[in-house]
This record gives sequence, C-alpha cells and structure tokens, in this order.
Amino acid sequence: MIRLWVPLFILGVWSVMAIIGPALPITPNHIDLTQILTTPSATAWLGYDDIGRSIGDRLIVGARTSFLVAFSVVFIASIVGSCLGIIGAYWGGWVDHLLIRIIDIFLAFPGILLAIALAGAMGPGIENVVLALACVGWVGYARLARSQVLAIKEADHVTAARALGASSGRIMFRHLLPLLSAPLIIELSFGVASIVIAEAGLSFLGLGVQPPDASWGSMIRDGTRYMLVAPHVVIAPGVALMLVVFAINVLGDWMRDWLDVKSLTRER
Amino acid sequence: MALHSAIVLTILTLTVGCSEPRSDTTLRFGLANTPANLDPRFATDATSARVNRLLYSRLIDFDEAARPVPSLATWEQISPVHYRFFLQPTRQPFHHGAELTASDVKATYDFVLDASNHSPHRSALTLISDIHVPTDNIVDFYLNKPDRLFPSYLVIGILPANLIRTNHPFHEHPIGNGAFTFIDRPDDTHWRLMRQVDRQYVELLRIPDPTVRVLKLLAGEIDMIQNDLPPELTAYLDTDDKISIQRRQGANFSYLGFNLQDPVVGQHRIREAIAHAIDRTSIIHHLLHDTAHPANAMFPPKHWVGDATLSGYDYNPTRARALLRQAGFDEAHPVRLTYKTSTDPIRLRVATIVQDQLAHVGIDVSIQSHDWGTFYGDIKAGRFQMYSLSWVGLKTPDIFRYVFHSSSIPPRGANRGRFIDTQSDRLIEQAQATQDLHRKSEIYRRLQAHLLHVLPYVPLWFEEHVFLARRNITGYVLSADGNYDGLLTVTRRPTSTQLTRQESHQP
Amino acid sequence: MTKFVLARLASALLIIFGVSCLVFMLMHLIPGDPIDVMLGETAHPTDKDALRKAMGLHLPLHIQLLHYLQRLLHLDLGTSIHSGRAVTTILLERFPATLELGAGAITIAMLVAFPLGIFAALRQHTVIDAGAMAFALTGVSIPNFWLGPLLIMGGALWLGWFPVSGRNGLLSLVLPALTLGTAMAAILSRMIRSAVLEVIHEDFIRTAQAKGLGATQTVFRHALRNALLPVLTLLGLQFGALLSGAVITETIFSWPGIGSLMIEAIQQRDYPIVQGTILWISLMYIGINLVTDVLYALADPRIRLRHPS
Repeated sequence: MIRLWVPLFILGVWSVMAIIGPALPITPNHIDLTQILTTPSATAWLGYDDIGRSIGDRLIVGARTSFLVAFSVVFIASIVGSCLGIIGAYWGGWVDHLLIRIIDIFLAFPGILLAIALAGAMGPGIENVVLALACVGWVGYARLARSQVLAIKEADHVTAARALGASSGRIMFRHLLPLLSAPLIIELSFGVASIVIAEAGLSFLGLGVQPPDASWGSMIRDGTRYMLVAPHVVIAPGVALMLVVFAINVLGDWMRDWLDVKSLTRER
Repeated sequence: MALHSAIVLTILTLTVGCSEPRSDTTLRFGLANTPANLDPRFATDATSARVNRLLYSRLIDFDEAARPVPSLATWEQISPVHYRFFLQPTRQPFHHGAELTASDVKATYDFVLDASNHSPHRSALTLISDIHVPTDNIVDFYLNKPDRLFPSYLVIGILPANLIRTNHPFHEHPIGNGAFTFIDRPDDTHWRLMRQVDRQYVELLRIPDPTVRVLKLLAGEIDMIQNDLPPELTAYLDTDDKISIQRRQGANFSYLGFNLQDPVVGQHRIREAIAHAIDRTSIIHHLLHDTAHPANAMFPPKHWVGDATLSGYDYNPTRARALLRQAGFDEAHPVRLTYKTSTDPIRLRVATIVQDQLAHVGIDVSIQSHDWGTFYGDIKAGRFQMYSLSWVGLKTPDIFRYVFHSSSIPPRGANRGRFIDTQSDRLIEQAQATQDLHRKSEIYRRLQAHLLHVLPYVPLWFEEHVFLARRNITGYVLSADGNYDGLLTVTRRPTSTQLTRQESHQP
Repeated sequence: MTKFVLARLASALLIIFGVSCLVFMLMHLIPGDPIDVMLGETAHPTDKDALRKAMGLHLPLHIQLLHYLQRLLHLDLGTSIHSGRAVTTILLERFPATLELGAGAITIAMLVAFPLGIFAALRQHTVIDAGAMAFALTGVSIPNFWLGPLLIMGGALWLGWFPVSGRNGLLSLVLPALTLGTAMAAILSRMIRSAVLEVIHEDFIRTAQAKGLGATQTVFRHALRNALLPVLTLLGLQFGALLSGAVITETIFSWPGIGSLMIEAIQQRDYPIVQGTILWISLMYIGINLVTDVLYALADPRIRLRHPS
C-alpha cells in the first residue's frame, strides 16, 4: 500500500501547491538585489535566486505552471496520439500508411524549429508551450499504440467480439484500449518528466514562461548557470521535479499491476 | 546485439586513432562566439572583426579616444576630397610571400566598392569616388563629398590583389599580412593561428557555455578567456589564486530603446519617469558586480566626442510617480508597457529587475523574450514599445545620423524608434558639415546633451572588459575596445605544475 | 526482403520531400532576415535589394521552394549565408562528431540498461530491483543541461579523469556520451526489465527451467531474444530524441556536431544550413529506422508478411 500512498501524497502536495499557490501570502516576485544568490538561512529555507527572489516562494508558484503544462500536454498528446495510433493500426491500408508517413515526418522534423515558429507567430506564452509540446509529443503515443494494436488485434477476445458483430469503435475502445494501457502508462509517466524539462528548454527559445513568472523547468535551467558559485539554486527545484517524477512512476507501476490483475481476472 | 556493439567499438577505436596529442606550447584562448567569417570584406560580427585584426592589417587604427591613428599607412589631407595614404616603409609581406603594395590596397577597396560583390561594408565607403596608385607606396583616395572623418572608415583588412583576382576563398583560408598566419580549422569549433615573430601557436576555441568555459580555464585546458561571462563567475574567478584577472573600462553601450510613435512611450514625461525609476547604481553594484559604469550618452567620456560633464537621471521614484501623474496615470490607471528582449540570461535578469523597479512607480511591464533572430527582426521592423540592446564597437560619431536622424528610419538606417526631432536633425547635419574637428566634437557634445534631455534612449551603462588567464600567462594587454590584440604579446611562463599537467594528459 | 526494403526506400524519399517542404516554409515564415545577417545593419536599402535579388529571395515563396527542390535534385545544398562555406563541406565536417556522440550514448545506454534491466527483473521486488529503478527514475528526471555541468565538475574538475569539453579522443567522448545516454539508459532499462518480466512467466521459459537449464542461461537464450524486439523499436524511436538532446549536449561540451550547428543556424537565420542539417538529420533518422525495421523483420517474419509489398 506504500506504493499507492507515498506517490499519492507527493502528487497531492504538488496539486495543492498548484491550486492554492496564488492564494498563499508569499512574494515570489519580490526582488531584493542585496540577496542575489544568498544561501539558505533561517528566514529563507531555500535561499535566494539569481536576482534576489525567494526560491521557496518561487517553488510554490512554479509548481502551478509545471503542473498545468505537464498535464495538459500529456493529456492532449496521449489522447490524440493513441486514438490516431489505434485507428491507423485497426483500419490498416492507406489510413495506416498515411499515419506512418506523418509520424515519420514529425519524428524527423526538429521540434526546435516548430517552437521558434510558434513563438514568432503567436508570441511567448504558456498556451503556446502546451501547443508546441503536444505537437511533438503525440507521435510517441501514436507509434506505441499502433504497434501494440498490431500485436493484439488478432487476439482471441478481439476476434470473438468482431465475430459477434461489435462495431469498430466498440472493439477499439472496449477491447483494445484496456490492453494498451500498461505500455501507455509507462510512456505517460516518463512523459511528465520530460515535459517539465522541455518547457525549460523552450524558454531559451523564447516560448516558455516569461519573467517574472516561475516554472520548475526554468528554475532548474537558470540554476544550472550558477552551479559553480551557488549550487543551492538548482537543488530545490531539481529535487522537487525528481520527487514528482518518482511519484508518477511508482503510481504508474502500481496502476499497471492493478490493470494487469483486472484484465487477467476478466479473461478467465 | 553483439554485432552492433562491435560496430560501435570500431567507431570508437577509429576516433582514438585520429586524436592527436596536445602540443605543449600552444596557447589556448576560449571564445563565446564563432568568428563566422574570416574574410574581412564580408565579416560583420564582432568576433570575426577581432580575429581578422590578427590575420590582416589595415590602413588605420584607433587610439584611446577613438581617433584614427596610422597603422599600415600615414595620411595627409591634400584637399577636402583628396586623401593621400603613405604605406609604412617597412611592412610585413603577405603570408604567401608577396610584398604588400599600394595596388593591394586599391584592389581590396575596389572589390568592396563593386556593388556586384555585395560587401556589407560598401555603404560605409560609397563616398569614395576613385582610388589611384601613383607609386607602390602611395594610395590616393578621391571622395565625392568632403568628410573629415574619412580615414576612420578605412578599417578593412588588406588582401593580396592577385588572390582577389583569382577568387581565392579567404573565408576558408585567410591570407593577409597580419602578425598571425592562419594554420587550419580542424573543425568548426577551433581555429589554429601562428604568431609569425616567434612561431607561437595560438588556438581559438569556441566554448559557448560560460560555466564550461570557466571550468576549462580552471582545469587548465585553456589558458585565457575574455568577456561574455556572467558577473558572478567573474567575481568567483577573481578570488581564485590560479587565475589572474584584468579589467578595463569599455565602450559597449547598453540602453533602453523606445518606439517614439507609440502613444504611451512616445510621451517625453513617461520616458523621463522611466529614467528616474531605474536604480542603475544598485543594479550595477549587486547584479553586475561593478563590472559596468553608468552611461549618459552613447560615447564614454574618454571618446573624443565624449562628455564627462553630462549629469544623468538620478534614481528618484517619487519624481517618477509625479511625472506619471502629470501624464494622467496613477495606481488605478497604470502605464502598461511591453518590454522586448533577447533570451540572453543577463539581459533577462536585467529586464526582470527593471520590470520590478518600474512596477514600484506604477508602470506595469510585461516582458517578451524572443530568440535572437526573431527579437532583432522585430526591433528593426519597429515592432516594439520598449526594448533593451547594446551598441558594440562604436568608433565614429557619424553613428548619430544613422541612429537618430529622421532620414534614417529603417530600412534606410537604424532609427528604429522613429525618432523625429528637428533640433537633433539640425545638430547632426551641422556636425557632419563642419570640417573642423574641434568644432565637430563641440556640436556632437551639444547633440548628446540634447539627446539625454529628449531621451529617445534611456542610457544604462558601459560594460567593462574582463580578461581572465592562468597565472602563468603574461604579457596580454586588454585593449580599450575588447579586441584580441593582446595575443600579439602574450606568452606562457613555463612552470613545473604546468609540465606535470601536460604530461598527465598525454594519451 | 528486397521488395520490402525498396518499399521503405520509396517512402523514405516521400518523407524527405515532406520534411524539406515543411522546413523550407517554416524557415521563411518565421521573422528575421538573412540579408541583415549578411550585410549587417549599416547597409543601404539598395544594396540589400540587390543582394536579395541576387540570391533569389525576392521571388514568391513557392518559386523559391521549387528552386530549392531543383538544386536539391542536383545534390546542391548551397552555401552558408554567414560564413560563405559550402553546406555540404560543413555537414561532412560535423557529421562524424555527431555519429560518434550518438554511438557513444547508445553504447553507454545499452551497457548500463541490459545488465540493470535483466538483474532487476530476475530479482524482482528486491533491493537490486528497487535500486535499479531508482536509478532509472533519477536518470529521466535530470535534464541534460544540469547533468552535463554536474558531470564536468565531477569527472573533469575533481577527479581530473576526463577533459572538460571539446572533441579530442576517446576520453573526451565519455562525459558527453554519458550526458546524452543517461536518460536513454533509464528508459531502456525499464523497458528491458518489463520485457524480461513478461517473458519470464511464459511457458517456454518454464519449460526450459523444467528441463534443468540454469536461470541465467535461460534468460540469455530465450528471454533476451524476445525482449530485443521492443528494445529495437525504442532505439529507433529514441533516435529523434537523441538528436534533439544532442543540441544541448553538444552546446555544453562544445562538441562540433550537427545539433549545435543547427541551433546556431536557426538563430542566425542561415537558411541553407538549417535546411541542410534538417535534411541530413531526417536522412539519418530514416536510415536508422530502415535498419531497425529490417532487423525487426528478420527477427519476426510475421512483420514482413503483414507488410503489403
């Protein structure tokens, strides 16, 4: 049960921070130039950042940005991606061919260029970060879903359902999707981490959060610049990100086992 | 899988085979940017210009006050439209052995002036109507209009005429008569040069990440670095006893620019309020670790048109608030501004602090950072309300026409803020028409005082030049404009620690 | 088999065409002007127009695209706007470095992931398993731009075993390959672990065990063979991620590869270089995937049969 409650606790803290962060009496944007890169102390547990803002306060408000970005991107990308993947693999023929070509073009295409184009066309902002990351992210889910469906579409219960006259949609989402969830959940749990990080990479291209707003990714990125002089700056957001990733993965494992058990009992 | 690993291993072994042992004597210099083009006829970026100074020589150079002084040649003004340049009697031959003569100078400038060659330097030289070569040592420049600053424009490295004729790829293999010869470019991240006088090899390495550049210096893989460091790292290295530091006042001018056609920042009172609201002293001290000096004009006081008597806008939030109120804004109706900047970390930090300081007087700033290409494109196209940038390498005051004259609105010039001011126009025209240098500088000083009052730019500061080297590196002299001429004289003092380190690195 | 490869090659051409068109359009639609890069700010508008004409940049976009594709047919990638050097020369100069870095990263990833994944699976629910998976989690949540400097500080400054940056022999490859390979090692070891776990419970392994083969031997003979398929897929998939990760890694380690070339070129609006690098990257990507597909088909004949030829 630890495998369920510890990650749920961590994710709970994350979401609470994300939800009530703006209402807390904190000053994440307050700049005190005399405190630039000051190390942790009794008054500021996590110290100050590169322009003299409290890292602790910024960690709390940054949780919101990262939470929003991570979940909206994973949500959009996994839904769009796995739907397309299932449809392609199930129908086969030219639909599948078209899908593979599109996937390949997306995979061969540098996301950076897309990000710059989006930033240039629509200006920097969180919505555009989500859009850019989802544009690149759906491909992985589509490929995964497609290959899984190819492998299981001839499975006994699918053939049986087809013989019984179930509609394509019903087969896809009642019989195929549940079997796909295990690998998709793994992909998803890794996805959250890479998206939080990718958001930081995008702000370098001028697409991410704009000052003075905070995000964990941009805090880590800014912090790495001062690793020689003030290593504490990167540690707090780095550990926070790791905890979240850890929680999501353990939870993912737990869910996979749980789904496994469910599908086994149903089949027998 | 075994097969795959075998392939990988082969590849790895091959690369080991290719690597060469590091030579003991090479001096290594870490750069932040690529010298993009080693052909002086086409180079436009600062790093290329600095490296090209080592490979080629030019007719003139500049002194401390940015006045032109003889380099390859001395000159005489024969008439307002006729300048005669006398090449120095002893001069280095070109790296391929030929003597440098007046016809090489003519060939170089003729090439640049030929419109079909699309040289970026052509427009600065279009006042040349003709170039004559009476002897091997004399070049005559005829102008189509008088300009006392003309010698200042002749900064292009001289190439050998015969190679210009045969379309030699100078960007691939530079040949000049500078103190350094170009050896090779093993890949696009390092360039090897040789100092002719003592056959000293110097390697320029491009290391874009500042932390890595510093780590490389600390580990002794490079011997020296110059500029482009976050101020914290400079301060950090200052305390390291393996590293020696040189600092020198610079002339790179940082400023806030405005779109003067904008209904909000087009108002003088608002720009004045912004100037009063920014606490430059604190920013320079705390953020920049005193590696900058407050600026009140584009040229530092040392420049021959500079003015030490200008008094800037003091930090005065009360006055700023009062000015905003006069303009009809208050807490309930704050001024709203968009501030564009590049994604350069230090610029973003400055922008965030300025945003905070402006918020304190009731100006609500939203920052938009863009990648450099987009940002610069927007600035030139006038798509901005407020932005910050620096002018790098300014030498001659004709920049004022180019930046502030009403006839220089892009694409005709760099008056990006659409600054239209009759008084400035008149002063610029007067200064350019004057042939007397003293009087010229007088008018330019009046112009700068006027600009400081009208505030098309809010001047911020001049960045300092910083040179950091291993303790055993001596003889580097940091120049006033941040060029790499110190490499002409730099040497390494051999020490015992140096030798052990090199030995341990031998494969 | 030949038919299969030919079909894949034909579709590869289609992808390259698609990518080229997309990149071309995007590159010309984003703000920024290469003429400004070439002539600098001080140029006269007449000079700028002349150059624009000379370079054909004044033509409508679709005509420019046609010209570009025409030159592409003759394998002419043009010259860099910034340095005036031929794009092909630059690419050939840079490519070995990227290849080396990619190969190094994959090698490290596999060297770490296979033992880790297999042992974690064999010792499911033990400390080894937990430790291996903790490593995997840390691996994915450390961004390149943090891991890189961290490794430099540890491996170059404190230990002094490796050079800080640059490309100079095998030692200099270790830190960048580790930086780039860690995330991949993490994902791969998880993948291998679950693949082995799945296989381990299947009948033929039980049979083998019943026949008296030792556990280790069994895993190597049977489980690994089956686990290879998903791993191969992942390698193909991860290759794109590897290249985009290489942009940051190459920048940190001043590694003269394609990734850092591309990002610089994008920022300087050096159209020919951007188009050239992206074309090159898609070629590599397609090549790698072709190889994995062929291997896949060789390992699992059903794939070949299913593929319409």
